[in-house]
Amino acid sequence: MIEAQGLAKRYGSKTAVDNVSFTVHPGKVTGFLGPNGAGKSTTMRMIVGLDNPSSGNVTVNGRRYAEHRAPLREVGALLDAKAVHTKRSAYNHLRAMAATHGIPNSRVKEVIEMTGLGPVAKKRVGGFSLGMGQRLGIAAALLGDPHTVILDEPVNGLDPEGVQWVRHLAKGLAAEGRTVFLSSHLMSEMALTADHLIVIGRGRIIADAPIEQIISDQGQARTRVRTDNPSELIRALAGDGVTSKQLEPEMLEITGADSHRIARTALDNRVLVYELTPLQASLEEAYMQLTNDSVEYHSADLPQATQAAGVGEGN
Amino acid sequence: MSHTAVAAPTRGTTQGSGVNFMRILKSEWIKLITVPSTVIMLSITVIVMIGLAALFAWQTTVLLDLQGDPEMAAQMQGAPDATSITNTIPGSGLIFGQLLIGSLGVVLIASEWGTGMIRSTMVAVPKRIPALLAKQAVFAVVAFVVGAGSALVSYLIAQPILTPSELEFGLGDEGVLMHIINTGSVLALMAIIAMSIGTLLRNTAGGVVTTIGLLLILPILVATLLAGIADWVPDAARFLPSSAGEQMVAITIADGALNQWQGALVLGAWALVLLVASLLVTKKRDV
Repeated sequence: MIEAQGLAKRYGSKTAVDNVSFTVHPGKVTGFLGPNGAGKSTTMRMIVGLDNPSSGNVTVNGRRYAEHRAPLREVGALLDAKAVHTKRSAYNHLRAMAATHGIPNSRVKEVIEMTGLGPVAKKRVGGFSLGMGQRLGIAAALLGDPHTVILDEPVNGLDPEGVQWVRHLAKGLAAEGRTVFLSSHLMSEMALTADHLIVIGRGRIIADAPIEQIISDQGQARTRVRTDNPSELIRALAGDGVTSKQLEPEMLEITGADSHRIARTALDNRVLVYELTPLQASLEEAYMQLTNDSVEYHSADLPQATQAAGVGEGN
Repeated sequence: MSHTAVAAPTRGTTQGSGVNFMRILKSEWIKLITVPSTVIMLSITVIVMIGLAALFAWQTTVLLDLQGDPEMAAQMQGAPDATSITNTIPGSGLIFGQLLIGSLGVVLIASEWGTGMIRSTMVAVPKRIPALLAKQAVFAVVAFVVGAGSALVSYLIAQPILTPSELEFGLGDEGVLMHIINTGSVLALMAIIAMSIGTLLRNTAGGVVTTIGLLLILPILVATLLAGIADWVPDAARFLPSSAGEQMVAITIADGALNQWQGALVLGAWALVLLVASLLVTKKRDV
């Protein structure tokens, strides 16, 4: 159980985390979703006491992290794949961390096997790939067999097999009744792994709800229609909160009317319809809608083809 | 699937008591000996210190032989008698030893920030101060053993070199044993000073430059350029870490100079002030 109350972190005039309150419950995977720079990592660093909050507080299992007698047994954290001395071997790194808590070497070997690091355990960490570094970070997080597991962007750099492994790991840990808090900027990953979502943007909590609820709240049902007479169909459907977008000359996306009503209207008005596909709102769309105003770094629109052509003509 | 293997918790083997200082010391010891470059650097320090002492012993005999009369030669070098030169041969590698140990002290802590290891360290020991104290303690003890050990070996190697010139001396001679022990003490205190600087700056290059500047450049500046500025400058120079360290291993104390114990107090004060500052700053700042 992680409880944050009024948590804030300011760097000079810049606010990274702005008065955030949330609770992460045991027994399920809680996703921490937000665009880059939204404050996910800063929040996680405050949970384990690496950053001191500017105001507010955060506790794990009822106490501040630093006040636990055996912090690694309470919380296992993967905060940054690069939290290892590059000249030390993976085995020695884990052995040094385990020594602080009197965790035996047998457990070190166990987490090495668990994370598939066996073949490279005696090699310098400096030569590790991103994925191997990630596995070592996860091994370190599991070292103390903790009640709470915090993983910051755990699938970064992992191959598909590794991504699936992390997914199973997170779900397995939650099924054992542990608290699992997982951050990502990838909605698709969250849709597959998380039970509950906390969405953060520009340092503020935008949503905190079960994943299904976030999807149904944000995404309205839409229907894709192909017809040879779109303007007639739009006219016939108009009113009653029905909106439509013409995506192609003969393709429409209609919101506010279900497929049955669209088909009935088309029949009544003698409009030919040759495709009628109900579209499920995805988490991705819900997320884009939620975070639209809170993306810190917007990409600029790509130059239009016509503009490029215009430049060409000018020369 | 693989997660069922993960799901088999080994609570029985991993549950026990938590963090304590002995365990942190053990962890820091593991960290010290598992980075190969650290072990190499320590070995080089030992070899350089012993090598310099042997060279110095040989050079002393050559000089004295050339000038025929040992008494005469000693006077020409401005020293009161020959034994005051020969008896400090065991610690004659100290000047280089302290630069090597100083650099290593900075590297050991600053590289944790450089590589990100510090986050693992501070997550395992979130109270922070015990982690730094353990690292300081482990390295200070290692530096002491390196210094005193090198001086003792240097003493043993110097005797057969000095014997033909009848300059050999014993561990029981006045000040010799203290000289050998204090060669280790100076290195231990220098280790603390350097590691504290590394902790404050969190940067290897900056820390090494600062440490070498304090130990090597500043005394030269004070002795040459700054000495003319005011009467008190040469007086204050006695309280620089390098001067205080020299007095700790001196056997003959010149008039007005600090004696061994005063030197130890001054160098100890430098170490303590920098150590406390590094602890307070680390406790307060984000990692």
